[in-house]
Amino acid sequence: MDKNYDLPIDAALFPEGCTRCSLSKFLVWIAAVMAVFGWGLYAAYRVLAEGLGVTGLDDYFGFGLWITFDLAVIALGAGAFFTGLLRYILNIDPLKNIINLTVIVGFLCYSGAMLVLVLDVGQPLRAWFGYWHANVHSMLTEVIFCITCYCLVLVIEYVPLILEQKQLNRNKLVHAIAHNFHLMMPLFAGIGAFLSTFHQGSLGGMYGVLFARPYIARDGFFIWPWTFFLYVLSAVGSGPVFTVLVCTIMEKMSGKQLVSWEIKSLMGKIAGTMLTVYMVFKLADTWAWANDILPRSGLTFDQVFYGWIYGKWLLWAELFACGVLPAIILIVPSTRNNRALFYTAAILDCIGVTINRYVMTVQALAAPVMPFDSWETYAPNWAEWGASAMIMAYAALILSLSYRYLPVFPQEVKLNK
Amino acid sequence: MALDRRGFLKFIGGATAGILATPVVWKSLDDVSIWTQNWSWIPRNIDGANSYVPTVSKLCPSGVGVRVRLVDGRPVRVLTNNDHPLGGGLSSIAAAEVQLLYSPSRMKRPLKRTADGAYVGITWEEAETMLVEGLKKAKGGDKLAVITGDETGTINELFTALAAEMGSKSCFLMPGEAQPAAKAWELMGGEGQVGYDIEKSDYVLAIGANVLETWGPVIRNRRAFKAGRPHGETPSVRFAYAGPVQNNTAAGADVWLPIRPGAETVLALGLANLLIKAGASSPAADFADFKALAAKFTPEQVAAQTGVDAKRLAAVAQELAKAKRPLVIAGSEFGQGGGAAPVLAGLALNALLGSMNREGGIRALPYARKVVPAAMDRKALLQNDLVGWLGKVASGKAAAPQAIVFYEANPVYALPQTDAMKATLAKVPFKVAFTSFLDETAMACDLVLPVPMGLERFDDVDTPYGSGQVVYALAVPALAPLVDARPAGDVVIGIAKKLGADLGVAAFADALKAKAEARGASFTEPSATNAHVSSAVLPVNGIALRADVLSKAIDVKAPAFPVALAPVAKLNVGTSKTATPPFNTKTVRRWEIQGADLYVMMNGATAAKLGLQKHDRIELSNPAGKFTARVNLFEGVINDTVAVPAGHGHTAFDEFSKGKGENVMRLLAAGAEPGTGLSVWNSAGVNIAKA
Amino acid sequence: MSSFKEFKIKWGMAIDLDKCTGCGACMVACQAENNIAPQPDASNKLKSLNWLVVYELTNGKPFPEHEVAYLPRPCMQCGKPSCVSVCPVIATDKNEEGGIVSQVYPRCIGCRYCMASCPYHARYFNWFDPTWPEGMDKTLTPDVSVRPRGVVEKCSFCHHRFMQAKDKARVEGRDPNALNDGDYVTSCTEACPNGAIVFGDVNNPAHKVHDLVKGKYAFRLLERLGTDPQVYYISRREWVRRLGDNYLENEKVKG
Repeated sequence: MDKNYDLPIDAALFPEGCTRCSLSKFLVWIAAVMAVFGWGLYAAYRVLAEGLGVTGLDDYFGFGLWITFDLAVIALGAGAFFTGLLRYILNIDPLKNIINLTVIVGFLCYSGAMLVLVLDVGQPLRAWFGYWHANVHSMLTEVIFCITCYCLVLVIEYVPLILEQKQLNRNKLVHAIAHNFHLMMPLFAGIGAFLSTFHQGSLGGMYGVLFARPYIARDGFFIWPWTFFLYVLSAVGSGPVFTVLVCTIMEKMSGKQLVSWEIKSLMGKIAGTMLTVYMVFKLADTWAWANDILPRSGLTFDQVFYGWIYGKWLLWAELFACGVLPAIILIVPSTRNNRALFYTAAILDCIGVTINRYVMTVQALAAPVMPFDSWETYAPNWAEWGASAMIMAYAALILSLSYRYLPVFPQEVKLNK
Repeated sequence: MALDRRGFLKFIGGATAGILATPVVWKSLDDVSIWTQNWSWIPRNIDGANSYVPTVSKLCPSGVGVRVRLVDGRPVRVLTNNDHPLGGGLSSIAAAEVQLLYSPSRMKRPLKRTADGAYVGITWEEAETMLVEGLKKAKGGDKLAVITGDETGTINELFTALAAEMGSKSCFLMPGEAQPAAKAWELMGGEGQVGYDIEKSDYVLAIGANVLETWGPVIRNRRAFKAGRPHGETPSVRFAYAGPVQNNTAAGADVWLPIRPGAETVLALGLANLLIKAGASSPAADFADFKALAAKFTPEQVAAQTGVDAKRLAAVAQELAKAKRPLVIAGSEFGQGGGAAPVLAGLALNALLGSMNREGGIRALPYARKVVPAAMDRKALLQNDLVGWLGKVASGKAAAPQAIVFYEANPVYALPQTDAMKATLAKVPFKVAFTSFLDETAMACDLVLPVPMGLERFDDVDTPYGSGQVVYALAVPALAPLVDARPAGDVVIGIAKKLGADLGVAAFADALKAKAEARGASFTEPSATNAHVSSAVLPVNGIALRADVLSKAIDVKAPAFPVALAPVAKLNVGTSKTATPPFNTKTVRRWEIQGADLYVMMNGATAAKLGLQKHDRIELSNPAGKFTARVNLFEGVINDTVAVPAGHGHTAFDEFSKGKGENVMRLLAAGAEPGTGLSVWNSAGVNIAKA
Repeated sequence: MSSFKEFKIKWGMAIDLDKCTGCGACMVACQAENNIAPQPDASNKLKSLNWLVVYELTNGKPFPEHEVAYLPRPCMQCGKPSCVSVCPVIATDKNEEGGIVSQVYPRCIGCRYCMASCPYHARYFNWFDPTWPEGMDKTLTPDVSVRPRGVVEKCSFCHHRFMQAKDKARVEGRDPNALNDGDYVTSCTEACPNGAIVFGDVNNPAHKVHDLVKGKYAFRLLERLGTDPQVYYISRREWVRRLGDNYLENEKVKG
């Protein structure tokens, strides 16, 4: 076959039958991404070289933007394990059309979170102590175990996709490995689902067990506070639509349709169902918290909100505008299949879970517990935004490369004929 | 055997497995915890043998008795010395004294100011030559002035003797509580130094005097406070405090009587009136006059003039009358500028309560005799009014001296009307500072001579004002000077010699020995305190209540300003001589200093009246000066009054204090107290405008 | 929440808030004793490292009914510490006779989860490496290691003094587990001129603190949250005691 000089220079690497923009256009985009990445890298360097004092964190707000970011992306990355669970274990076949993207998004969310954690712990060189000197009573130990293990699982799930790259896959060995990996996928999906459920839960449990912090303390079942279960549910109630949103952004940027509407709608239905279940429990939990835990601690509902920054509007927004409302939109077929409403609901859903992670991280620390203590406020500074932006840039980079060179979307060729 | 690819891989694999099987990797990995704890740039602590030196703090105005802990000769801590008569805890300055040895503002060598205003290091020989040359020009006719910041040391005798040999009597103490008290006591006809036997009192009323924070030997005061208040039980000693601000003394007191700044005398007279009505009397010859004067101060009158609540006033009067050994201590909330009248009125109250020359009351303590023949004794030194004299120099009523020597004094920062005082001092052609720190005054001098810090030198604390008994405490060096400093006493003796004068002592140590002897102390035996206590007291006879003086002194018009000014003194910010010690920045309250901003306090009603809210930026101004600050709302301030934390706004020193906040002294204007002529600056007012 | 040991010896404090005048000597003595680095600008109290902090309490009433009190806050050495169970690497523990909650600096990874758990804000993070003005590091005591950046630290009840007191007892042939009242006191206790802090073994009837903590005016901070602190406060003033815990409007104050 003669070389077609109208095609981009790297066309030979594209997935079978797919078209991509010119390499120069792609490189301009990558350069923009790398500029953001560089800014974040500088922030990361300053943090590692000088100490966490360069951030906006302080002794009241030991957790801030980064932990919020981690918790939010891990929740939103839950599309990976949950879709994997449904696809491989419960055999909901149509999900194969989006499963690759969920894996990539999941991998990005988890590896990104781990990168941020390297900055966020004061002694990154001792990060492995979590294994070496593990405290089995700590929810955070469980988080460390599960996140690292699950990140490995995601790598394993991501690898066959890389190996399926058109040129790589010509190698017989690579082809065989990729094939074998695929056969093992249900196993990994199972392990992933187990690990992920647990650490989503542990992340919630981390907060719920803080019995001396009435804002986040929760009763529970056996060793698990209610937040354990709420975090699992909220993650699966938002992760799938987050993947859809990522997919849609990629569609807007590439100008192609990548996943059929049916699949997106299915993901929406899945998320909507889980979100509905979540909202039932979340509302019950909030009620019990306001009427039991707070008064038991000598506090009133009004006392745990402060001004505009930590006002009740956050709670109402989380519960209703970004909870009940998207849940309804997503479970009612007629509204779900209205695209505008669908995307609105998906965005609200993701915002809702982010608000939840934010208030449980930041507002929980802002609220004074000692009666003579004061409300304090927290605003992340450039170093924290920079490092977070670095992760976003990293995600954009991996997604861009994956989209350009890997067969991520099985439906792409058909949908763009 | 040639190493092929497969062989190489095998080797690598085997080696890896082999290394992993040894503890090397695991051990090194575990060692990470140790490396990451001991980076080369993290200072290490070094072990060694402990030793302890009992001494007394010359740095802290409380004169607290302490123990210095040394490890292999390195001082590491100032510790409590419970055996010491002035000990029993630490002040927040003394607790930081070891670390202050390494203060970034510490003087390390003699410095001379060059023509372009820069300071250059010189040798001691050069410095002494320069000093001698400078002093030669100031011979005769009060051309030399000495300002000392040491109220209790024998060192003053050497400086005043030098001045005397040079033909000058212009020797001054930095303003404090002792001078007005000495004046008051003298006016009443008392002998010696007035003493307050807090330890044995069962009711202490402090009028103005910040007895639990800055007044007198405060650690000893607080030990008495501690003794009278067993944990959780009803105190066996009640404390009442009258002052414009709910300061640290008010926080500890059972009763707080809010009064306007400068209203101490009126309050005391109001109490006197109530006591006399209840039957109190005094054998004083002028009691009738006093009674007549006091009668004018009915509760209503006092309430109107001082802002005090008449009921609370009556309650305190009753409590005083009921107490077995009541003691009234009057002074200034910020330790200076209060004038003699409040002390006089306070002492008169003691007389009415029968507390004169009684256990738990007022004692007359003998002064120690001079040990340097030509020196000015303490009593004489206390009579000289620095602020008054500088005022005269400024207005041309007194000639500016040719030379001035500052000893551990920082008048450029610490005097009222700071800006004007600084300008006045600038008129003096030759200025020398003996100091441990490069403070504001040192920065205005031609020659700066480092003195060893209190922990590095022999020195003494002789019966600080406020003490209820004669206490002679020796300061003993815990270590040799860390810098090229020389004891000021020895330098003075040497300089005098070069100027052709013999001060009569060969070395400063001899003067200290003689002083100890004069106090009946001998330090030949090893001691846990290096302090001596004597029960010697002077008789208190024929005390007059001096209604004549009081009636004049209270006849002052209230300042015509919308807001009264109440400086608030706290030891944690250091003294004018130390500025804020490095550790103490953390003890400064949040809404006291934020970055470079000073916060001033007022109550909500006052703020509302002025249309102000917390954090508002305001300008405080009066003819003496002006600065900007922010508003902090604190309900423990009397109405129409702004409380300004003192001790901030340094323009010298280091990153721990320089440029933080404002210096309240700049807003205080000195006037003369009618009847006594003493300089007073405790009733200033300010205009407040949003800035 | 895992369960915690009961100890035969329980070091504790009884701090009489009616005796504290807020001078700050304890805070300075604490820094000097425990090798805490000075801070040129400590106006951001959320980033000022001081194991012991004196809080200002107000009765909330306007002038002239206003009252003020000061509350020194060391680590509460909780009987049921919220921080210990959450530490992923066992860098903090409550395991030693005496009940002092330890902090193992070389073990701490700096995740700050313990700080989030502590409602007393007793835990501090080393945001930067500690620095002393030139030469001032020579005044470091040999008793407490200097902490690098990136680890959490907190009041240890001057644990080294406990060890020294036990050593001394052993040398003198006394039982190191039966120290006399006053053999072991913290730096802040010793420094306070007002004697506001009484330190000792809460379980030992021969120690003054034993009876003090049972007094009718004794209370602990946030008792109802179940942290079981070993630091007790005392105040005869009801409004001060009321500030020791969160109370609903109609709830009565202890004591």
